[in-house]
Amino acid sequence: MPELPELNPVIHGKLRLALLSLLIGVEEAEFTWLRSKTGSTDGNLGAQLLKLEEAGYVAVEKKFVQRKPQTLYRMTETGRKALTAYVHALKQLLGTAIGA
Amino acid sequence: MNANAEELELKDRLSLIESMIAEGRRTTESWGWTFLLWGVAYYVAIAWSAFGQPAIAWPVTMTVGGVLTSVLAARVRGNQPGTTVGRAMMAIWTCMGISLFILMMSLGITGRLELHLGAAIVAAMLGTANATSSIILKWKMQFASAVVWWAAMVAALFTSEFATGIVFLVAIFFCQIVFGIYCMISESRRHKARASGQEASHA
Repeated sequence: MPELPELNPVIHGKLRLALLSLLIGVEEAEFTWLRSKTGSTDGNLGAQLLKLEEAGYVAVEKKFVQRKPQTLYRMTETGRKALTAYVHALKQLLGTAIGA
Repeated sequence: MNANAEELELKDRLSLIESMIAEGRRTTESWGWTFLLWGVAYYVAIAWSAFGQPAIAWPVTMTVGGVLTSVLAARVRGNQPGTTVGRAMMAIWTCMGISLFILMMSLGITGRLELHLGAAIVAAMLGTANATSSIILKWKMQFASAVVWWAAMVAALFTSEFATGIVFLVAIFFCQIVFGIYCMISESRRHKARASGQEASHA
């Protein structure tokens, strides 16, 4: 029996998984947009984004637009590869679970 | 955790990924108003140059149109994230606009601007931009607009000055005014459908 893959714990968290899935479809996204799409609180969202940033899965850019602070997040190549690997592992596990 | 609960959790994660990717790619960009705005701008420029000052009518109207488009686009976009398709659309239309502006200004300044050729160039470039956008967006209605512009291009080279003018006014009416209003109506319907869908899913 082939060895089952392990799911990446950084990505497996529901909010972090939602964030990476949102970011893969766009070039970059504002903090406020991510908050509205996930329905998360500022504190929780900030903490989860920080974990993804520390893992090198997202890059952050802070700037001022018309004197207002704006925080932009975009997915890195490492993040893209990690999410792809996670989906593959998930499908493999699901296939095994259904076949069991 | 038993096997069934584990399977449900895995399915839940997979469904979360699918729904979030779809949500991220779901564009709320609205561009119908730009067609309408530029249609009105062309009519203003044509009327101004026919009954007023042809030397400044086009450059001034086009510059004002460009500034208005950038300001309104930034407001309409709000905090929506940029998508690759959105950037492709912006690139096509901005580059087409800049090329057209520089070419027409240069032809006007050097005195080499001739009505038939000028009209054919404008129609050809608008046809190209509409066709390219329609292929990227897989939108047949916009391709029909491109065909109208290409027909206007051919007509501009084979008909009289008066007929060329009429053909142009008609092309602007259908490809800018009517198409712009059609876009705005379909965008509004799409936004309403999404809003009601989201309300239902949050209920």
